[in-house]
This record gives sequence, structure tokens and C-alpha cells, in this order.
Amino acid sequence: MKSLSADRLQDLAAALSAAGYRVVAPVEADGVVRFAPWSPGAAIRTDAVPVNSLKDVFFPPSEAIGRWRRSGDGFDAIETRPEAPKTAALAARPCDVAALAMLDAVFNWDFRDSFYDARRAATVVAALACSEADEECFCTSVGGRPDAAPGADALLRPADGGRTLIVEPLTDQGRDLAAAASGVLQDGAAAPDAPPEVRRRFDIGRVGAWLAGNFDSPLWKELSLPCLGCAACAYACPACHCFDIQDESGPNGVVRLRNWDACGLGLFTLHASGHNPRPDQASRWRQRVMHKLAYAPERFKVAACTGCGRCGRVCPRGMSLADTAERIAAAAAPAAGPAAGVPA
Amino acid sequence: MSPTPSLREDAARLLREGRVKLVIGYRAHAGGGQGPAVPEGACRAPLAGGGGRRPAFIEEAHRAGELVFDGACSQNLAAYLKKPEVRARMPLAIVASEAVGRSLVSLAAESQFAQGALLALAFRGERYEGVKEVEELAALAREAAPEPRRDPDIGRRLAELAAWPAQRRAEWWSARFSRCTRCYACRAACPGCYCQRCVTERNVPQWVSTAALGHGNYAWNMIRAFHQAGRCTLCGACASACPQGLPLMLLNTFLAAQAAEQFDVEAGLDPAAKPLIGTWDPEDDNSFFT
Repeated sequence: MKSLSADRLQDLAAALSAAGYRVVAPVEADGVVRFAPWSPGAAIRTDAVPVNSLKDVFFPPSEAIGRWRRSGDGFDAIETRPEAPKTAALAARPCDVAALAMLDAVFNWDFRDSFYDARRAATVVAALACSEADEECFCTSVGGRPDAAPGADALLRPADGGRTLIVEPLTDQGRDLAAAASGVLQDGAAAPDAPPEVRRRFDIGRVGAWLAGNFDSPLWKELSLPCLGCAACAYACPACHCFDIQDESGPNGVVRLRNWDACGLGLFTLHASGHNPRPDQASRWRQRVMHKLAYAPERFKVAACTGCGRCGRVCPRGMSLADTAERIAAAAAPAAGPAAGVPA
Repeated sequence: MSPTPSLREDAARLLREGRVKLVIGYRAHAGGGQGPAVPEGACRAPLAGGGGRRPAFIEEAHRAGELVFDGACSQNLAAYLKKPEVRARMPLAIVASEAVGRSLVSLAAESQFAQGALLALAFRGERYEGVKEVEELAALAREAAPEPRRDPDIGRRLAELAAWPAQRRAEWWSARFSRCTRCYACRAACPGCYCQRCVTERNVPQWVSTAALGHGNYAWNMIRAFHQAGRCTLCGACASACPQGLPLMLLNTFLAAQAAEQFDVEAGLDPAAKPLIGTWDPEDDNSFFT
């Protein structure tokens, strides 16, 4: 069994960096922990869920996907390739890793997205099993668990009461990563810690059944009233993947940008005519919930929510997908009461 | 003594008598409290998530018992006056802490709601003051803060920044703004950001790059701050909504001080005040044109 002392994560990062990986990991800047490029000396924070998710590594908030140079009366295309250096993503949470199934599916559905795919191919993901869960965590309600990351290349599993991290390679890339870091890994037994208990908050089957027949329910209006229509939840979400394409022109040419976008924003579906098929926050919030728990499961056989709980942590009004799903589950079975009687 | 019973009674009475169609206030979150301690730096802004409090939208008198008020009720409810779904339910009443009260006064000065369309269930600290019209709210606000209130810690940080060369300051802000994802939580949480089409969403021509990259992020955050100069009541809703923890109150406090110093403006104290940005006066100081 390979392991390393939990306080040597930085040494692991340094070894991977020396082996030619760009390392991204939860690091703190100005009091906020973000998934961001690691630099020597930076502490890797395993005690906090980063404000952004692993998705940023593959699908950044904004990126150039095309460039044109002015040439006489026309434009010459400049070949634009994704920036996809060999990368090791360290200490991603199982819920973030679970979202890769959704992202892989949508970015390779009817069109293979070369920008996403290039970074995905260049990145090895070493997940960190959770040792704590907070009140917003709900992975177990959407089919996940805090101590397994099937889509990862390796899993770091807390052991010996948090003092040790067992390194479990899961794929060839994970074995390469372990080999590259062999200098900081040790042999010997370690006792895996028990995973945290993540409360099961709703029955996703019951929620799905309600969604199938309640597109016009008045509950959407009530559930969406606190929503102020920003994109904080969508941008923090590991599975949200909507984007907008904008061409920005300057004196010398044009750059085509892919920028994150979100269904909660009023402009998202606003037509040039002025018509908006989702004219109010109720229809926007319904879209967000339906996309995650009805449309994605129908089309891709995976939920577009992995229970990371970030929406509830970042929402200025304290809304969350879990609260909404709980309310829906209660509406689906009023006699049972919220979350009561959900089999564990 | 807990102020909640009289708050609930007033809310129920206003609804029962038909004086308002809606009461916006706070309720306890079913989950309750903050939950387990979150380590410093975890992704939970100090006021985000409502600190165990959630907005409540009460339309029936018998539901007024859901209302609570205490120091954890920190969300600025005045931002809901932007929502068409809420405006459709006027006249309405809002549970108003001092911060919410000042926002309402500022919005009244900018003619954002008709006279009689809004009542406040006003608090000073945690003391309930009763049902108030906007003019009475303004009087309360002036009484509570006869001198402009500025966060001394922010003042110290501003002084530090002011002592730096401009280039270093610009680089410091660039590094902060580089983390902006353009989620617009700041704008959404701000009662004063009520433009139906924000400048960052105008694309004929496009004034501000909407990409979450350097120059667009810098321009967006600066433009938002400038549009709040003399209007911002320093409630802090934008900063606590920002998932990235950007130090937006440094900008807002700086501009509020400039508005006070140069134009003798203090937002949120007078519903009859001429809005600083919306007012042009030929006697304005034009000396900066060179």
C-alpha cells in the first residue's frame, strides 16, 4: 500500500511539478480557497471545499476558441488551439469528479469539443475522499458517496485519523502519477478512516417522478421567489456547462470567446425580437432544476447535480438545489413530510 | 424582550386589512443555524447563505407567524423591489433593518416606487420600531447615524492603498478582479442595481467585454462601483454576495467618501434628495476638464 503523510501534500505537488505536471489544487488566496494552479510553497487546503469546482480546469470561465487577423478588406483565420499542458488535478472532491461524467457526455454529444477534450486528455485527476461533510453536502441524495471517485485516476484516502493519505491508483494515468511521485510515497499499512455521514435529504426517484408531471406547477413560482437571478450557483456548480459565444473585435482583428453563461440570468434566453420564452425567474429556476434532475438523466443517464452543495454555500439568499428537491419530494408525497421515511 | 410578536402582529394586520398584498421578511431556515463550523477560507461568505435566515414572502395573514428578526437577518431585502414578480404585489411591506431602511430611502429618492406603495416594518438594531412610511424611515436613519458611518478597518486599508503608486494599485486591483467570474451576484444583491438592461449587457455597441478576463473584469467592477457613487448606502450586500470574496467595499467606501467630500451627498438619508448621478447642475465643478 502506497501512502504519504497528510502534511506532505505539498511535497507530492512539488514532485509532480518536477516531473513535468502543471499542478492544480485547492489553494487559498485572500481568504478564499479556490481550485487554482499550485505554486511552490502554497499550502494545499484539504479542510475546505473550494469555491470553484474541478470543472474550471477543463472548461474555464472564458477562453479564446478562434482568432482572425485583419487583412485588406477581409480576415485571415489564425489557428487557435486549446492550452492543454500536462496537468495533475490534486485533491478534487468525489462530487466534482462525479460531474465529469456529465461534462464528458455533453462536450462529446453531437459535436466533439476539442478544447474540452484536449484538456481532459492532458489531465490526471487525483481525488481526495472526504473526511468531513457540512450541512450543504448531499452527494448521497444524488447517487454519490463521499469516499469513492469512480471517474478519477487516483484516490487519496484519509487514514490513521487524518494523519495519512493512502494513494490508490485507479487508471494507468493514476499509476503514472504515483510513479512520478514515488519519491514522496511510502510503503506500509494504514487504517482508512470511516467516511463522514452525509445525510440523505430526498429521494431522487420521487423528485424525478414529480418533475415529469409538474411543468406548470405553482410551486415553481414559490420556490423561485427568493432568487435574484445571478449566476453564482451555476458558476460554482461542477456540472453546469452552458456558455455563450462572443466575438470581440479590435483594430487588428477579432477574437472569438467562449464565456460561461447561466439559465438564471434574464438575458440567457432573451431573443433579439425582445421576446423571452423564459420571462420570469420561476421559469428560469424551473429550467435549472429540470435540466439537472430531469433532462440530463433522460438524455445522458446521469444527473447534472452531484450534491456538492456549492449552490447553497454561495447563494446570497441561501437557496440550494437540495432545498428545492426536498420541497419537491415533500410535494410529491405530502403525507410523508419532508425527507421523512427516505430509505438510507 | 423579543420584538417578534409585535412584528408578526403588524404584518398580519397589514395583510388582513388589505393595506399590503405582500410582506417580505425573514424566516428561520428549516435546516437551522449555520451547521458545523466551517473552516476559515471555506466557500461560505460570512453573510451568504443568510446565516440560517432566509427571505420570507408572506401573502396571507395567518402565515405572519413565520417571520423572525435578529442580528442574523443580514440580507438586504430591498433588492427584491427589482423583481417584477414582487413589484406586481405592491403595495407591500418590507422588514427593514437600518441597512434595508437606507436602501429604501435611497430608492425613494430615485423614484423607484410610488408613494404609498411601500411600508417598512422597521428595526433599529434589534429593537422593533413599528410600521413606518419612507419619510419616517429616513428620520430614523438620520437619528441612528447623525455622522457618516465608515468602517474604520476599510478606512485603514484605503489609506494603505492610497499611499501606493498608481501602477502598484492598478496591479493589486487587477489581481483581485482576475478572480471575478462575472456571475453578477454583486449586481443581483444590490438594491441600487436596478437597470433593466445593465451596461455590461449592452452589445450595440458593446461597452464592456463580457469575458471573465482581465480588462473586461476590471472595467465591469469599476463601472459598477462608479454607477453607485453617491447612491451606495454601504450595506455590503454586493461584497457578501461575491463568491470570490472580492473587496468591493473598498471601492464603495472610497466613492461614498468622495461623494460626501465633493458633493456633500450621503445616500439613504433623504427621500427628497436629488440623485447625485441623475442630476446635472451648470454650477457643478468642471475644473477637471483641462
